[in-house]
Amino acid sequence: MTRLLFPLSRIEGHAQVAIEVQEGEVLSAQFQATELRGFEYLVQDAPADQMPVVTPRICGVCSTAHHVAAVKALEDAYEITPPPLALKIRELLMLGQLLQNQATSLFIFTMPDRLGVSSIFQLASDAVTTDKSERQLTEVATRALQVRQAGTHLISTAGGQFIHPVKAVVGGVTGGIPAQQAAEMRAELEAALPIACELFDYYWEISIAMGERLGTWGDDAPACYLSAIAGRQPNFYGNQMYVLSSSGDACSMFPARDFRKYLTYEATEYSYAGHTSFQGEVIRANSLARINVLHDMGTPAANRYLKRFTEAFGQPAHAILLFDLARGIELVYAIERAIEILSEPLDEGDPAVPHTPQDGEGFGLVEAPRGPLIHHYTIEDGKIAHAEFIIPTVHNMLAIERALRVAAERYIDAERVNMELERAVGRVVRAFDPCIACATH
Amino acid sequence: MKNFAVLQLSGCAGCEVSLLNADAWVDQYNLAYMPLVTSVHDVPEVDLLLVSGGVRTDEDLYKLRHAVQRAGEVVAVGTCAISGGVANLGDRDEVRELFIAQARRRHVPHLLPKSHPIDAFVEVDRYLPGCPPMSHLFMMVLTGETEKTLARTVCQDCGRKKLRDVRPEHLVGFQTGKVDPDICLINQGYLCIGSSTRGGCGAPCTRAGHPCVGCRGPSDAFIEKESAVWMKSIARVFKGMTDIPEEEIQTGLRSPQLALFLFQFSDYADDKATIRPKEKVL
Ligand code: SF4
Ligand code: SF4
Repeated sequence: MTRLLFPLSRIEGHAQVAIEVQEGEVLSAQFQATELRGFEYLVQDAPADQMPVVTPRICGVCSTAHHVAAVKALEDAYEITPPPLALKIRELLMLGQLLQNQATSLFIFTMPDRLGVSSIFQLASDAVTTDKSERQLTEVATRALQVRQAGTHLISTAGGQFIHPVKAVVGGVTGGIPAQQAAEMRAELEAALPIACELFDYYWEISIAMGERLGTWGDDAPACYLSAIAGRQPNFYGNQMYVLSSSGDACSMFPARDFRKYLTYEATEYSYAGHTSFQGEVIRANSLARINVLHDMGTPAANRYLKRFTEAFGQPAHAILLFDLARGIELVYAIERAIEILSEPLDEGDPAVPHTPQDGEGFGLVEAPRGPLIHHYTIEDGKIAHAEFIIPTVHNMLAIERALRVAAERYIDAERVNMELERAVGRVVRAFDPCIACATH
Repeated sequence: MKNFAVLQLSGCAGCEVSLLNADAWVDQYNLAYMPLVTSVHDVPEVDLLLVSGGVRTDEDLYKLRHAVQRAGEVVAVGTCAISGGVANLGDRDEVRELFIAQARRRHVPHLLPKSHPIDAFVEVDRYLPGCPPMSHLFMMVLTGETEKTLARTVCQDCGRKKLRDVRPEHLVGFQTGKVDPDICLINQGYLCIGSSTRGGCGAPCTRAGHPCVGCRGPSDAFIEKESAVWMKSIARVFKGMTDIPEEEIQTGLRSPQLALFLFQFSDYADDKATIRPKEKVL
């Protein structure tokens, strides 16, 4: 038996892929998360009201989602409903997160696969070996950074600190957004929108070219699609868990507190992450899971891309490289929707309602860029007696491994291992945009 | 063109995200290695090595030792690299044992008994504290700027007004909402430690109405001393401005979200404070 080990890069966190082969037959394909900090343990006994500041440190990429999920879990335990102004600001926070993440995944993580370079920052060394001129690459890099920066600025505007936001608090937010600041943010997003569309058009084009060159878009068997978007329009603030069955015609809907009745978690010996399944079936979360259930993005440009997408690939669509294109639709949506919200007054009305903390159990659900994220706390004497973080990347683990196996079978035969396999492994994993810091936490 | 690399150990990648926000380096510096954004699997010879994350696994330790040999200058970036970071919150006997027992896996890197700062193993030339450090601070490290043009403390950047006659009697916790936008958070009963926290961040948290939890570490006045000195000075500020009982302040300071940062420049676990000279800290 031969064991092939592939280090991974251009993903968040530390992980590797191990594929076992015997005489040309693929025995297994494992995705191994290789880091662990132990957040469920280290927050034990911490005052519950510190979770919104401590838990964003689970991940600097998904920190905003953790910040909001933590606040929602406490509000669930304390039985309070935040005022409308707070909900708007929190939605902006989630949009900033989405914008920043999708721009990073598209243009920094996966664009290089389409251009045949090792990084969009690797200027001189790679430019010689490709037909892209050095200058063009620098331009792509600069524009990509500009778009993702608009996302970071949106997080700062709505959340205070730019990576680990602080503005969402139990009962609401610490304050609104002054008109002047909202107008500046809006102008920045309006400038970013055409650039994002242009980059996405280019990305779409080179993705099609790559699909043709490879002769495949990767694992395209049906799967269950999981999101916290229970409706026909996007809503990243999160309300109910929603599963579209693999046949594409049946749906299950359930509140976050019932997740265990539907999702089965198993730990594994070869990874610090483990995996989940839905009634014995492979689950997929992240962009494609959402785009597969959405009929209307609610904003014009994103709707045009959604139409283009469904006309070209159908709905539900299953090939994994479509996760990447689905991300582009959401990138455009995030900018457009944030512009809409920033056009409304954001400094009128109560930012928060008063509350009294109480012991009990709370669930906080948001739709993070990678799928539904749940924080589950049990609070005793105002302290965390038990904490649990249910992470979207973990829901994708079986889907990643299935897709890796499909790729391995394509590129391995009795005679040899095709060199393309290494690149294929990277493409497969990046399509799911896994976050290892979150998955292991 | 200056070559630099970013070695990511066990952390949250927030430091790397912050670096990506400092887009000014893109056409001035060559990023030779940073697994988050480049597919290069080994650290090449570089002028500057930024290390983020703490040493949590045996693999972290191996990578760190290997990488510093190829670097001209080594910078410890962020709370995790400087102190071991948020992972230190699990450094209580009862938690640690449970955690390590549960974590054992056959085929992945092994966890060390605790999380370590990188300078427990290798020599560090500069420290860039922050959780994460702001993008402009990364640029200062890249350009080699040492001049301290930065605010001394967070208070200096905050701009909130301190009132004499408003003296809260108890802390209000961290989650009360409805924060007055202009008045010092201490006057409003928040455990804000911006008065002695290292400046340079621009006070984004306090400006947004959340107390500073001290992620930039102690100001130069306290950085070479053990954390008790810093904590005493915070207690003095609260005594001067409030009627909050001292134990309440002390308990607050030892609670996780502050302890995380308060102890970052002095060893959290045992008393042997490792002194980092202030000249090395941006
Ligand atoms: S103590 Fe905190 S709120 Fe008050 S002025 Fe200083 S930084 Fe601002
Ligand atoms: S205000 Fe305090 S907690 Fe916030 S970034 Fe600055 S030093 Fe860190």
